[in-house]
Amino acid sequence: MKARSILFALVVLFTVSGSHQVRAQFLHPKIKAKETTIRRVVVLPAKVNVVRDSMKGPEGMAAESDELSTRVAAMVAEVLATKKKVTTLPATAEGDAQQKYNVADFQTKFDDLLPKIMKKRSDVKKGRFSMGDEVLNLNLDKGADAVVFIRGEGKKLTGGKTAFTMLVGGVPAYLRLQIGIVDARSGEVLLYTDPIFPGDPTTAVDRLRKALEKGFKKLPEVTAQ
Amino acid sequence: MFPRKRTNLIVAALCFCIVFTSLGPAALAQKKTAPVEATPPPVNEAFKFGEVDLEVFEQSDLLDLRFERDGLVLADESANAYLRRVGLSLIPRGLELERVSWKFRALRDPQPNAFALPNGSIYVTTGLMTLIENESQLAAIIAHELTHVMRRHTYMHNRSNRKKFLTMNVMSAVGAYAPGGIVGAVITVVTTVAPFIMVATIYGYSRDLEREADLKGIDMMISAEYSPEEMVTVMKLLDKDFEGENIRLFYNDHPSLDERIKYLSSYLGARADRVTHQMELNRERAAYFRNVESVMRHDLQLAINAGRARSAVYLAQRLVDFHPDSENLFWLAESYRTLGPRAPQLTEKQLTNSAKKDASKKHEKRTLEEEERELLATPAGKENWQRHQQLAEEFYRRALNAENPVPLAHRGLGMLYEKLERGSDAAAEYEKYLELSPSANDRERIQRRIQALKEKLK
Repeated sequence: MKARSILFALVVLFTVSGSHQVRAQFLHPKIKAKETTIRRVVVLPAKVNVVRDSMKGPEGMAAESDELSTRVAAMVAEVLATKKKVTTLPATAEGDAQQKYNVADFQTKFDDLLPKIMKKRSDVKKGRFSMGDEVLNLNLDKGADAVVFIRGEGKKLTGGKTAFTMLVGGVPAYLRLQIGIVDARSGEVLLYTDPIFPGDPTTAVDRLRKALEKGFKKLPEVTAQ
Repeated sequence: MFPRKRTNLIVAALCFCIVFTSLGPAALAQKKTAPVEATPPPVNEAFKFGEVDLEVFEQSDLLDLRFERDGLVLADESANAYLRRVGLSLIPRGLELERVSWKFRALRDPQPNAFALPNGSIYVTTGLMTLIENESQLAAIIAHELTHVMRRHTYMHNRSNRKKFLTMNVMSAVGAYAPGGIVGAVITVVTTVAPFIMVATIYGYSRDLEREADLKGIDMMISAEYSPEEMVTVMKLLDKDFEGENIRLFYNDHPSLDERIKYLSSYLGARADRVTHQMELNRERAAYFRNVESVMRHDLQLAINAGRARSAVYLAQRLVDFHPDSENLFWLAESYRTLGPRAPQLTEKQLTNSAKKDASKKHEKRTLEEEERELLATPAGKENWQRHQQLAEEFYRRALNAENPVPLAHRGLGMLYEKLERGSDAAAEYEKYLELSPSANDRERIQRRIQALKEKLK
């Protein structure tokens, strides 16, 4: 775990020093072979958490995290629409407690699968990961081909911490997203991408858009039928 | 707090410092304390709110909202009302605390845990409510948590933590740690909103504060005429490691099992003056199970979803013992089906620390399906699967013949037969399920399965 943390810190540092977005995209063989096309998706509420890192340690940024989560989800939909011609369908309206539980539990299921994907992301290309046909219990719009899960974590540095990082070293401000697109019927993970970019995540708009555009670069564009 | 946590993160070891690792002397469980004169409420009167404390207070309110919004709070009025009744019975009458508004709620999480936010919100997970056996044990948990609030432990802990760079690093690492299952969702929410609260409430306070909560909690139980020795019993229950998750790491600062038993025993010993009649405890147990039976069933579904099959079998069997001819049979069948090729209990070897660490590493890499496939390739796994599928089938059948037959048992049988490659039987069971539950939430899923099975049979 320690080694992974160091590796992650190095990746972030490398990213920042190169001022390029690191992007890795992995497509399910069905997407690559064009057996499955993602035309319409439902984007589930994003869960992006940012902390403010000060000399006294990290502090929660609940309101900013909420705002960023909404912005990231909207931006994902926008990028998919403009660059890939993918339509975003509205998520199921909040119904009774059971419906709320279904969505919450399915989001949790993705959280459980995510570390396994991240452990060997390239296995998405082998079609190894699936969330099962329980995805159908979400009772999404019948036209939906896929469900988009968005997770992210980021860090904003205070002035003091920024100066400290420049002098002594350390992980700079960044935002890392983990996005999974899951087949709305079989539950197979069709795409996994994890764009990361440096800088204050709470103010990122263009940087976020660019990172997402690069993150979805390999996803085939929907062609008119 | 009452956590039982799993992690292979070294940093998380620091957090484990407050985990309840243990529990109590069986001898104590047979004692009953007569009502004694109420002890003064354990209020920290010297405490004054500062700016830093107000921040923590605001974060607590935000956390309440987040738990609600993210579907983590159990929307079961009667369960929450029951928690409230037990909780309020422990609070001295007329006690008013600045910026504390008591709320008692069940949290949808199969991992046994409880925690208190400094604003007076007490959360008990469905996993803990299902594990414990009577109201006194529930009172023990709540009394412990109430003490944290009354003594302002979160604020004190926060003030102290702000001076400790090491702890800050721990919290940072905790933020990046995402355990599986619903419990991951709870931790993520708390970490996002309030990393400071994270360590204290979920993972525990310092050794002294936890000890204080234990002892003051006993006082509160006695004042409310609950059997105080159940504090020890509940700790013993928490020590059960069905899933091999309790990993001892290099740093453990929380009170050890022996230490806890010692101080609780000596504290109780001075107050206990007669033995609790076993019948009285049995009556209390039956009343408790009646009150939380629906919560227990909900928790079984969560445990099954999270792959906690061994816990599910144990808890479902207890429910069947309590109320045999009922829906509980279905839950026991589901638990056995989920257990699949796994052994019903971990061996002593598997419960060693190093084996648990290895298992945890494997769990990070393999999906549940992959784990099952691997086990099914072994003779022991095949044998387990055969035994468990037979048990599952038997309990599904019994659930269908219960006083109020459970249509879901047809779905369970369908899934079981599908796995056994008995396609036509599976399709027939699925069809019966949909016939009996035409508006089932998973209708589309089952219809697709029927279709796929029929195509395969052609």
